[in-house]
Amino acid sequence: MPNIKLQSSDGETFEVDVEIAKCSVTIKTMLEDLGMDDEEEEVVPLPNVNSAILRKVIQWATYHKDDPPPPEDDDNKEKRTDDISSWDADFLKVDQGTLFELILAANYLDIKGLLDVTCKTVANMIKGKAPEEIRKTFNIKNDFTASEEEQVRKENEWCEEK
Amino acid sequence: MPFISKDWRSPGEEWVKTRKGCWEKKKVLENCKSLTIDSCEQDAEMAIQPHCHITIKCTKEIAGFNEFDEAVKRLDFSSAVRDVRRFNYICALLDLLIGQQMTALSGCAQRVLLAMLEEVARYATASQHNPRRLRHLLNNLEGLRAAERSACWGGPLGSQLLWTQHTSQIEQILNMAAQMQICGPNPESYPQLLQLPEECIREIILRLSDHQDLTASAETCEQMASIVGEQRVWRELTKFHFTQQQIDLVLPKDNEKIDWKDVYHSLKKSFGVNEERQYAEMLSLCKYCRCLFWRSLGHPCIADQSPEFRARLQEAGGLTAPSPVPPSAFLKFFSL
Repeated sequence: MPNIKLQSSDGETFEVDVEIAKCSVTIKTMLEDLGMDDEEEEVVPLPNVNSAILRKVIQWATYHKDDPPPPEDDDNKEKRTDDISSWDADFLKVDQGTLFELILAANYLDIKGLLDVTCKTVANMIKGKAPEEIRKTFNIKNDFTASEEEQVRKENEWCEEK
Repeated sequence: MPFISKDWRSPGEEWVKTRKGCWEKKKVLENCKSLTIDSCEQDAEMAIQPHCHITIKCTKEIAGFNEFDEAVKRLDFSSAVRDVRRFNYICALLDLLIGQQMTALSGCAQRVLLAMLEEVARYATASQHNPRRLRHLLNNLEGLRAAERSACWGGPLGSQLLWTQHTSQIEQILNMAAQMQICGPNPESYPQLLQLPEECIREIILRLSDHQDLTASAETCEQMASIVGEQRVWRELTKFHFTQQQIDLVLPKDNEKIDWKDVYHSLKKSFGVNEERQYAEMLSLCKYCRCLFWRSLGHPCIADQSPEFRARLQEAGGLTAPSPVPPSAFLKFFSL
């Protein structure tokens, strides 16, 4: 099995199977464009991902390496926020900072599955909550003026009744 | 030739003590195939797929033998509550049961029902998952209790003592839910939601499948409001809940500008939202084994176990997939 070395922003290198690294579209295209040979001991620098997050990403990719590719036509499936496998749910029991960093990493590395499951997890934290509760959950500051807030609320109510 | 029942071949029963101190049959030994999960991680721990055999054609007489509490136990509902995929299904089921005059259920079924409710309340308060759903359930429960208290004649059927136990349990559940507190993130943690690039926040918003969640997030702050206000969000929501034919019906005919938010609301009004799409995981019914099981967990199927049976099925026109069982259909199996 050919391996590849990935270097995180803080200088740590990780050696992973090329097939696992290729679940990141960013790395895959990089390898294809550069036409890297197996013999070369090249290190791929990932300046946007620190080692703690990269370790988690690799752990996720390793677990999901044998997953069948997602069906192309079924774009409906993505919407269901609660369709998270138990392994992923356990894997994502982390603090908010880490969760958001995973989203950033998945976005940067272009790993669709990881982005999907992390976004679903955050969406689940929004689900079923009132605006004030959402603000509290994510530490969001209310930047509406009183009249603006009233207007947004009215607009939504109106839609609801119509 | 003597009749040898299934029980004769099964390894027997083992009783385990539950948390509450009562004893119940250990599910593991009840003639089912076990499957190994993640042998590397949990050193070959054995788990069984929860499943439950059931008599399908439900006449009044037969329904008496399909025991609700037994099914609940065998299908492992209490741990299903803690699985995000199945949470919604259980809530919908509880909703139906409470709505159907819980007091008319058998004592045993009531007890099971309240235990499930308690589990839901415990899970939801601990993980702060979907408080709206929980509140909705508890409002119904509250209403039920109030109605029972103010009934001018006739109390709940059955044991008076049991009902007093139930009311105290209801009290306990309500208290637990009342103490639910939303806690925010560590203020120093970085990054925070709004510090993510807009495309990431949009990805999150796009995964909300309920318009109430969308409007609630729009009311939190300006940045969220502007993302939720985008046409794309509402277009995808509409496409998720409705078929293309339904959408075509309400689309403006003459190249007018489409407001997808209006389209969604008018479709919702005329068609209602699709029930089945709301559950990530449903109970399924295998036609061959007459057995209910969770779709993602599977079940020890007779067609898998005996190759001859499988071959015969294929001759007869191939295997039919197990059919999904929505909550209302599930309840029809029982005489409740």
